[in-house]
Amino acid sequence: MGKSMNDSRIRKKVEKIARKEGGVGIGVRVEGGIVYLDGKIDSRKDFLSLGSSIGKIKHAGGVVNNLEYPGKKKREKKQGKKEKIGEADVVIVGGGVIGCSIARELSHYDLKIILVGKAEDVATGTTKANNGMVHTGIGEKMGTLKQKLCVEGHQMYDDISKELCIPYKKCGMWIITTGDSLAHYKIPSFLANFIAKRVVPFIILRRGKKLGIPMHLVKREELLRQEPHVTEKALAAVYSPTYGITCPYLFTIALAENAIENGVDIMLNTEVVDIDVKDGSVKSVITTEGVIDTHFVVNAAGLYADEIAEMAGAREYTIHPKKGSTLLFDKEYGNYINHSMSALKFPRTEHYKGGGIMLTVDGNIQWGPTVEEVPDRDDTSVTYEEIERIFQGYSYLTPDFPSKTVIAYFAGLRASTFTEDFFIQPSKKVKGFVHVAGIQSPGLAAAPAVADMVINILKNEGLPMNEKQDFNPCRKKPVVFRELGNEEKKKIMEKNSLYGRIVCRCEQVTEGEIVDAIHAPIPALSMDAIKRRTRAGMGRCQGAFCLPRVARILARETGIPLERVVKNIEDSYLFVGKAKCLLEVGNEN
Amino acid sequence: MKTDVAVIGGGPAGLAAALKASEQAKVMLLERENELGGILPQCIHNGFGNFIFKKMLTGPEYAHHFMGKVEKSDIDVKTETAVLEINEDKTIVATNPSDGILEIKAKAIVLAMGCRERSRAQILIPGTRPAGVYTAGTAQRLINIEGVMPGKRIVILGSGDVGLIMARRFILEGAEVEGVYEIMQKPGGLTRNVVQCLEDYGIPLLLSHTVTNIKGKKRVEAVTVAKVDKSMKPIKGTERVIPCDCLILAVGLIPENELSKQAGVVMDEKTGGPVVDEHMETSVPGIFACGNVVHVHDLVDDVTMVSEIAGEYAAKYATGEIERGKEIKVVVGDNVRYVVPQFLRSIDMDNVTFYFRVKEEDKNVKVIISESMAIFEKKERIVKPPEMVKASVPSELLKGIQNELRIDVRGKYEK
Repeated sequence: MGKSMNDSRIRKKVEKIARKEGGVGIGVRVEGGIVYLDGKIDSRKDFLSLGSSIGKIKHAGGVVNNLEYPGKKKREKKQGKKEKIGEADVVIVGGGVIGCSIARELSHYDLKIILVGKAEDVATGTTKANNGMVHTGIGEKMGTLKQKLCVEGHQMYDDISKELCIPYKKCGMWIITTGDSLAHYKIPSFLANFIAKRVVPFIILRRGKKLGIPMHLVKREELLRQEPHVTEKALAAVYSPTYGITCPYLFTIALAENAIENGVDIMLNTEVVDIDVKDGSVKSVITTEGVIDTHFVVNAAGLYADEIAEMAGAREYTIHPKKGSTLLFDKEYGNYINHSMSALKFPRTEHYKGGGIMLTVDGNIQWGPTVEEVPDRDDTSVTYEEIERIFQGYSYLTPDFPSKTVIAYFAGLRASTFTEDFFIQPSKKVKGFVHVAGIQSPGLAAAPAVADMVINILKNEGLPMNEKQDFNPCRKKPVVFRELGNEEKKKIMEKNSLYGRIVCRCEQVTEGEIVDAIHAPIPALSMDAIKRRTRAGMGRCQGAFCLPRVARILARETGIPLERVVKNIEDSYLFVGKAKCLLEVGNEN
Repeated sequence: MKTDVAVIGGGPAGLAAALKASEQAKVMLLERENELGGILPQCIHNGFGNFIFKKMLTGPEYAHHFMGKVEKSDIDVKTETAVLEINEDKTIVATNPSDGILEIKAKAIVLAMGCRERSRAQILIPGTRPAGVYTAGTAQRLINIEGVMPGKRIVILGSGDVGLIMARRFILEGAEVEGVYEIMQKPGGLTRNVVQCLEDYGIPLLLSHTVTNIKGKKRVEAVTVAKVDKSMKPIKGTERVIPCDCLILAVGLIPENELSKQAGVVMDEKTGGPVVDEHMETSVPGIFACGNVVHVHDLVDDVTMVSEIAGEYAAKYATGEIERGKEIKVVVGDNVRYVVPQFLRSIDMDNVTFYFRVKEEDKNVKVIISESMAIFEKKERIVKPPEMVKASVPSELLKGIQNELRIDVRGKYEK
């Protein structure tokens, strides 16, 4: 009864917003707090603004925005295969950091677990383009699930990084107020400066105290002493010493490998095309490779989570991708700053999402990310405007930084929902279907806590869970030549002389490491897969030197011809054929 | 391990330096590849050796001349050996599969690591990141050494020499070259290459153009090109989408100086290489540099000639035979972008050759080297930014100089 009261209240608010924003005539349905929108609308802009406004309604649990607008694209459905390829207690959909975290946590228990990922490797979607920040939670909206899981997840990183032997550094972070922090408001500058210097930092500190995040106030002089390249416009800073950085794909690969060692089956190149539901319960997952029978599906499909939910008839949100672009600089200037840093600006400007000047665990500095709504869930292109925007937005903090030393830029997409919070709960409609959706930043930091939460949900949903006696939390660390001292280098070379042959000169990656990656628990079978594991090609020359060499090693180790080596996904061939192939008469290739 | 002279890099610079040094001293030559020659083995076109051999040799032929000599010498050659560190006390840490970690204490070091190509990111081309975007040098290696084709419908950005040579190479392999696009108003490579590699094959060269987008998911599907204005910004409305499967970048070379910086040598911002004196000695006593590590050369013959100087004086340093005088700075004057050497210290050779590039094209000019008054003049019929200019000055004219030396390109001479 109470619930429907709530529904009608939400409905009224939705209708009010629709009237105000020109969405007259659209169909509104509210069920269990979830808002369903149907009908036609003028543009994508309206689709987004209506969705966002409705998402902000208090107690609205989710927005399923099915509004049609001119030019809206529908994705083609792929065909599944009918033969049974397996059965599992739990099927996890999605091989990003969330799916792999859940897989690894679930592998503590005596269960048959299958993780399916549509890509050729784990960590190829949203996870790949993450900037590696292990946020403390201070930047998140108070009281959100995001914030709760971020604070918890952050605290779990000390242990999990040790167990999985992944790089994790508490590099610390400056949250800086400047003379421009309040420039948007038309208040006299002495007052604006006073607020930025004296008031804002204390608000942040109080928040931190509430959340148990250690932080302290740093005066301008001290900030400039510790960070000589920071802008003179800095007024004060809050220092957050536990702010961390990791490598998002190495973390995900490590989670996946450890899950495999503990019995999880990871099926890559396997796309879910349908979910069979009988009598309101999950029965099986149909994929491009065949059918997997199961009673529990964990939907960690990121950008495609709403489509997966739809297949089960459990759509309770709509994903609207938000692109973020990042610039990466040469390691040579990695010591330009000593901690990550971010300038506060009120209100937040449209195209910047927090972000700032960030360190990476590999010693680079990165600027970004930006925010831009995009219609295409695969659009990871970086535009000229985005690059300009990053230069304009971030050159401010360290004005004398040699910004011409960009070595790479990339864009990723955030899987945002209109309620802009994590959506982690069992489906209200289909038994056995668990949503783990809307995971945008700080999803990386929150990932370990998200996994814990999902375990509890599955327990409550009736999945019998008995802890394994022989669970092994530790993953063996692969050899990373450049990190070793000379004595250690000598030792490993005695075992395998391939560790003595440098293939990637910029990042000092050896042939031994590349061969290891190709034969790892998740074999690295593309150039990009090798790159993510070893850093070959990630340095200042961006593979100009090592690409032919790595390709040849990959061909040799896998027994495929050189001209069949791929960059990443299927058919992304590096070469079009053998030399002279274009001259052969009658060769259409 | 100890040696008199350690040469880092077995390309044309390293080979010449090692050979010359070995006439007087014990030499070790370190090369990260499994064969010597550097980039030359992949340069199968001709045009090498015109000055030194008075012949047009191919890259492999040019390299083999020196490799044969090295083989007969008592130079200790270590291939597959990557240098990890150089310390200011001239200790080198290197690694190779047979020795493991090597520590080499050298009396003198010659840096001859060559250069690398500018990448897509350095010129900030927007778009996606599909397979099929290669630098010209990588493409050259792929075709000529690895035997694979990077693409069949090619767009080339940049008209540097490697790009021009690759345009022709692609045609010879049966690929289509849609055009060479150059952001500057003038071609970036040697005139002879523009003629022999593009004009002779009917490949269009579009000046004041750049690539503004790369499209494609798996492989390159198309690139967008646009005209640029005088500040090199793309002009709206001039964009054209060119379907292709491969984008080749020939957008410049950068001296490879990671090790030099580690060794603490002072760098010249304009050349991207260390500052050197007329012996090719850097700011760190006993550390010499030569070839493209110092500045990017047009012709390998010049690399060989300066590297011989570096080798000779590295050996002299190692055996304690160098005497130094007062340091004379060489400063750039009118229409000069940079000059090597950047300073003089001994003036004990017969000639000192200054290598420099101009900022702007000019005709019938004089190269003037002066202290307070001109001490040397030389006529040049034409000077262009892509073509290096040389001035060989007899040492007797330089002796007695007390202050800065200045080099200008200006004035007209009567034809």
